[in-house]
Amino acid sequence: MKGRWSSIVDGKGFDIALVALPLTFLLTLSGLPLIYNVLMSLQQVDLFSLGTFWRPFVGFKNYSELFAQQETWPILANTAIFVAASIVGQFLIGFGLALMFSTNFPGASWLRGLFLVSWVMPGLVVGAIWSWILSGDFGVLNFLLRESGLINGNIFWRSDPNYSLLAVIIANIWLGISFNMILLSVGLSAIPADLYEAAELDGANAWQRFWTITLPMMRSSIGAVIALGIILTLQQFDLFAAITSGGPNDSSNVAQYWAWELSFRQYDFAKGATISVIMIVFVMLAAFVYVRSTRHEIRG
Amino acid sequence: MRHAFRERLMLAAALVLTTVYLFPLYWMYITTLKSGSAIFASPPAFWPTDPQWQIYGHVWQSRNMGRYILNSLVIASGAVAIVSVLGVGCAYVLARYRNIWVDAGLFLVLMLQVLPASLMITPIFVGFSQVGLLHYPRLAVIIAIAAKGMPFFIVLVRATFMSIPRELEEAALVDGDSRSGAFFRIALPLARKGILVSGMLIFMQAFGEFVYSRSMIQRVELQPASVGLYSFMAPNANEWNSIMAYAAIYMTPLLAAFVLLQRGIVSGLTSGALK
Repeated sequence: MKGRWSSIVDGKGFDIALVALPLTFLLTLSGLPLIYNVLMSLQQVDLFSLGTFWRPFVGFKNYSELFAQQETWPILANTAIFVAASIVGQFLIGFGLALMFSTNFPGASWLRGLFLVSWVMPGLVVGAIWSWILSGDFGVLNFLLRESGLINGNIFWRSDPNYSLLAVIIANIWLGISFNMILLSVGLSAIPADLYEAAELDGANAWQRFWTITLPMMRSSIGAVIALGIILTLQQFDLFAAITSGGPNDSSNVAQYWAWELSFRQYDFAKGATISVIMIVFVMLAAFVYVRSTRHEIRG
Repeated sequence: MRHAFRERLMLAAALVLTTVYLFPLYWMYITTLKSGSAIFASPPAFWPTDPQWQIYGHVWQSRNMGRYILNSLVIASGAVAIVSVLGVGCAYVLARYRNIWVDAGLFLVLMLQVLPASLMITPIFVGFSQVGLLHYPRLAVIIAIAAKGMPFFIVLVRATFMSIPRELEEAALVDGDSRSGAFFRIALPLARKGILVSGMLIFMQAFGEFVYSRSMIQRVELQPASVGLYSFMAPNANEWNSIMAYAAIYMTPLLAAFVLLQRGIVSGLTSGALK
């Protein structure tokens, strides 16, 4: 007993204790729910059987029922559109800003810091602000678009099925610009300056330098940023809750919001768990790419 | 000469883009100062002619914001307490060793970091209700948030520990200090800045958390400010000046903390995510 105690104070036991406690906590509260989720997706769950672990086992019935529902494929398509459009928008704008700030004009680092402000804003606050900006009759975006002659009548961003998903995408791009910009800035600053000087001496213009130096050197940063963008976009829930609630008529619904709706609005926990399982597989794939593209730095 | 001109041009472009980017924030604050009819004016005023300052006090009182904010503070503090007590040691060990087990632990941490809350809430809710944790809904939310935030915290703090030379601890060990003594007296004090910034980031995330709170806290008296804002925004809400005032009261303290800690946050975020 004394030996074990002294090991905890002064030996390997100390390190093992430090790492074992948090990992147990994480495994109980993230790992276990993950497994439980898979289990529930194979069970028949209703409000009466909620309190027990031993519910009727139904195999893949939840999955086949889910894909027989007519809203499933449109919602999955919305999810794909939401992720793709958000990533493209965030990445292009973020990369452009990162390139601009990398020229190191006076005040660059200070202005760059301001872009991180969206990171500390509660998601619901961002959603509330964009709800108001995108409001149909009195929204300021409609006003600006009308004044600049881009549209003639008001667009009802939040209630028109053709625009509702776009409304959330716009807000999500705004939210995602900051981390794209800052992470790409880090990648840009790691490129040695003498590479550019050498290329300039060889007569390469800015455009050629970008394609032959910047992009190839940024490959792993870009991979990490895009994978992280997919992960964060699939985590986005608050904007849907605040701006469209997935409506009208599921036109802006995405899988991560639908899973919650199934569980907590329709109390169909088995279906909610089923969607969760499917989406978590996708998130894990993106996470795998992310971890791989940052791996050399994790080891180092 | 040409160089200076280009720099000035870049600065001007950056200022314009920053203004465009920050416009939603500006619009929130401006809207709070407009009267109930002025918000529906066309064209909308971009500068308040008749600022209505009393709206802040009014919204604070009528929406019972004190209680909501207090609940948010309780939840965020609880989550930060759990995360930092458990996470610091884990980050330290993962930074100090390099073997297959550490790699496996780190991989596990990184994979658990990415699980979306809205997907995890289904099993967490059912599991928590089975073990009776939902009788203490705020505690349940604290634990769930802590589990969600801890991997990120570990990654950030680990980067801090990596930057502290281990020779300092070895010197303490040579001088006769114990293993735990070297951790508490040498490594921990040196890493305190990184730990503080990472803790602040976890606090801010927990302060704005919505999914877990919305799903697990049914009683209005225990709900945090994010849920309060959600219930304020009914589908046909039109008191946008009041809603924006609520949002402004909710996030201005976070904004202030961000401005004060900006340097630390920027370096913390970048080191955690890519390094």
